[in-house]
Amino acid sequence: MESQLTTSLVTPAMFLLPILGAIAVVPLTRTSPKARALGLGLACAVTAALSMSFIPGVLAGKIYETHVLRLTPSIWMFMRVDAMGALFGTTISVLWFLALVYSAGYMADEHRRGRYYTFFMLALGWTLGVAYAGNLLTFLIFYELFSILTYPLVVHEETPEAMAAGAKYVIYILIGGSLVLLAVVSTFFLAGDQTLTATGLLSLEKGRTPLLAVFWCFIVGFGVKAALFPLHGWVPDAHPAAPAPFSAVLSGVMVAAGSFGIMRVVFNVFGVKLLRELGVMPYLAGIAAFTVVFAAILAVRQDNLKRRLAYSTISQMGYVTLGVALLGPLATTGALVHIANHAFMKGTLFLCAGLLIKRACVTNVSQMNGTARRMPWTMGAFAIAALGMIGTPPLSGFVSKWYLGLGMLEADQPLYLVILLGGALLAAVYLLPIVYVAYFKAPPATADVDERSEQREAPASMLVPTIVAASLTIVLGLAAAVPGLPVSLARLTATGFFR
Amino acid sequence: MVSWPQWLSLVALVPLVGAVTTPAVSRGRSRVAALWALGVMTVTSFAALMLILRVAREGPFSYPFGGWKSPIGIEFRFDEFSASIGIVCLVGWLAVLYSQRYVEHALEEPRIPYYYTLLLLNFTGMIGFAVTGDLFNLFVFMEILSLSSYALVAISGERTAEMAGFKYLIMGAISSLMVLFSIGLLYASTGSLNMADISSRIGDGAVGPIPLAMALAGLTVGFMVKAALFPLHIWLPDAHAIAPSPVSAILSGLVVKTGLIGILRVYQIYYGAKVLDLSSLNTMLVWLGAISIVMGAFFAIFQEDIKMMLAYSTISNIGYIVMGFGLASPYSVIGGSVHIFNHALIKATLFLAAGCLIHKTGYRTLYDLRGVGKAMPLTTAALSVGAISIVGIPPTAGFLCKWYIALGAFEAGQPFFGVALIFGALFIFVYYIRMVNSFYFRQPVHPEFLEVGEAPASMLAPVLILASLCLVMGILGRIPLSFIEPAAHRLLAPLGG
Repeated sequence: MESQLTTSLVTPAMFLLPILGAIAVVPLTRTSPKARALGLGLACAVTAALSMSFIPGVLAGKIYETHVLRLTPSIWMFMRVDAMGALFGTTISVLWFLALVYSAGYMADEHRRGRYYTFFMLALGWTLGVAYAGNLLTFLIFYELFSILTYPLVVHEETPEAMAAGAKYVIYILIGGSLVLLAVVSTFFLAGDQTLTATGLLSLEKGRTPLLAVFWCFIVGFGVKAALFPLHGWVPDAHPAAPAPFSAVLSGVMVAAGSFGIMRVVFNVFGVKLLRELGVMPYLAGIAAFTVVFAAILAVRQDNLKRRLAYSTISQMGYVTLGVALLGPLATTGALVHIANHAFMKGTLFLCAGLLIKRACVTNVSQMNGTARRMPWTMGAFAIAALGMIGTPPLSGFVSKWYLGLGMLEADQPLYLVILLGGALLAAVYLLPIVYVAYFKAPPATADVDERSEQREAPASMLVPTIVAASLTIVLGLAAAVPGLPVSLARLTATGFFR
Repeated sequence: MVSWPQWLSLVALVPLVGAVTTPAVSRGRSRVAALWALGVMTVTSFAALMLILRVAREGPFSYPFGGWKSPIGIEFRFDEFSASIGIVCLVGWLAVLYSQRYVEHALEEPRIPYYYTLLLLNFTGMIGFAVTGDLFNLFVFMEILSLSSYALVAISGERTAEMAGFKYLIMGAISSLMVLFSIGLLYASTGSLNMADISSRIGDGAVGPIPLAMALAGLTVGFMVKAALFPLHIWLPDAHAIAPSPVSAILSGLVVKTGLIGILRVYQIYYGAKVLDLSSLNTMLVWLGAISIVMGAFFAIFQEDIKMMLAYSTISNIGYIVMGFGLASPYSVIGGSVHIFNHALIKATLFLAAGCLIHKTGYRTLYDLRGVGKAMPLTTAALSVGAISIVGIPPTAGFLCKWYIALGAFEAGQPFFGVALIFGALFIFVYYIRMVNSFYFRQPVHPEFLEVGEAPASMLAPVLILASLCLVMGILGRIPLSFIEPAAHRLLAPLGG
């Protein structure tokens, strides 16, 4: 199937809409919080609808392109929606919409809401820019913007822990960002300004050494964001410190943006053929496999719920990188699908964790005895997402792991299949006990429970997005074969890369 | 109207005449002096605009004074590098506007008209320096600039200000002497003072290499002091931090750039002549640039005083530009030249915004200014935009220079310096993140200033204009980049690249 290029004006609207929304929020903050909530919800919903509107065209083989602005005499800011971008972009905007609705309830009694919403919406714009970037400089611009301008969200609470987590976040992210900049500059020097197409930009005639240097610069740079071992240090601190809805998108799509970057580098910058010749992917696969197991083992030991979930994110993103590193069509499909599926599963888990903090004052796993009796819906959603994360059929986590597993056999690497199953087993070890104590342990004696924790289920504004995210976990599993859902887009992408 | 030849003489003469007439016109009334200075700068800016439009259209052109053709007469020559007077006029105009309310507090009433005289003299020096085609003229304008700068640093009359001004004077006098001796040496050996003429005469091989090398060394070191390149930067932090904030903005944003324009002029003479191999000089400049980047950032990290921090950050940025020139590849020279312009915008934003904070709260350390983001949201927002810009987060103005100079480092086959540049910027981020943290995310130490509110409109407007230009010039970066491109290629053409 030959891909056809279409110029689209919707593409720049995708990142401009949330940014304009964010700017419009500022004057509304004091006058009318209600109008602000409605306006932002609308902007976010339209963004999500627009991102979905690309899918039918993309499935029909179209690629949408827009030259937005000439940045330097030779480089355009250039947006391009291909199947991979459409998949990631839709995941981003849908999860963001859910988290935004949830924020209305969660942030109601927090300070500095204007700042929070502004940067929350800006971050949506930047992240969509990453998904739809058509060349490396555009990618870099949005990548750096969303890395740096989410700092106010990480330190939102302004507590000493949040400030420390923020400092750690900034240092990791800046070092990663600098490496990415270095790699982008080198790529530009080696190949010029080129569109990210399915064949790759670089070729072996430039010599092995510069190519290897560029490759590892990219991998280490994006690896910081994608939380590859040993670059994952900021993840477990930043997540517990941030407000829950932001943790949800941070874990769900922002860490995945690093993995997305790695995919762009592997498939669009280097190309499958060149990487096979360079022979670097086995090393990357080894690192990713180690990350999967290592982070999962650490997750088991965490008592703080959000921290445990953060380690789980590191482990799950390891799967994605592992899938990419195997360089096979099925493994790539699995990796792409896992980005989307993980976003909603992990989103659900973090939104549940937020509900537990707000309604039951529970932050640690050891305090969770019997919470399911008071918050049945919350813990129901939590249980579904936890089962999905482990990879129980027919939930969405199973679909991506199925493809990943097939990919490992296809690449003739059965050892990694052991890693995959081991990771799933460990996920059961760190997630199922939470579900168990919530349902089957008696709640603590009323004597040491304060009044606030007597409250029951959360208001609908917070509960509904959580339940929707959880039901997406079911739908993406049951209806995995329906065209337009992640699997179809991922298969299209993989076919393009391995033609 | 654009090609009216007189603009080129007027652009230096208008501020000069305006400067000396300020005390007479104002007769002690500070408001009149401010308005007069603003009017003078408006006319100058218009002349500068005309000149820049003309150079963009027709390329370099010159103006012979009194009709005496060069090399006999005095010549003003306007090329793309001279277009830096555009930023002098823009920042200068805004600084004059800003000064009106600022100096009411900062200076005694009788000194104020003289303050404007000195400002206008300062602009005369910078403009004249950039547009002259004559080496001795270059020196004269440099002295006008330097003397007015010393006086402006010391103008508050406080003891620390006088000390800083004196330190600046000593360093500046040594540098002027070196430049003067070198000009004398060139005149003695070539018999000419016109830069283009000198270049062609030494290109003929009439002069031995030793006087040429000595003149080159003297000129380079002299201009390096003016540009505050490590290790000749020691005068800068005190002078820039202690001067009144609009003066800091001018000193840091514009005056140090004069040294860089001077280095470019030296290159124009020596590259064209092709008698000396400049690669060892370039290697030295690249290394000094790299060290400046790191040392400037390193010292800035330990500063508590906000203006001191900004002053050290200037040293880093001068390092970027000098590194760009030293790498001597088209990309890096373009990047360095454009950063002359962009850094002026950014640093002026930062100093003027810091001036607003100091003006309204009376505090100047990060500790005392904690929580000021709530009291003065627009000013701190401008300061944050400036910070993001100077660190070089795309797509702000500071990013272009990083991108071009790093690309230039690859082009010149010295990727190590690209790495040094990018990771040097990380240090810079460390202290700006401290600043942002203290303004927004920490509990105020002096809660009383939460009530102060924003600075008056005539101070806030320049800050906001400059801050938005920091963003706009990043997005519209292709305009200055393509403007300076022919000049960079012309400069490097004799190298055969």
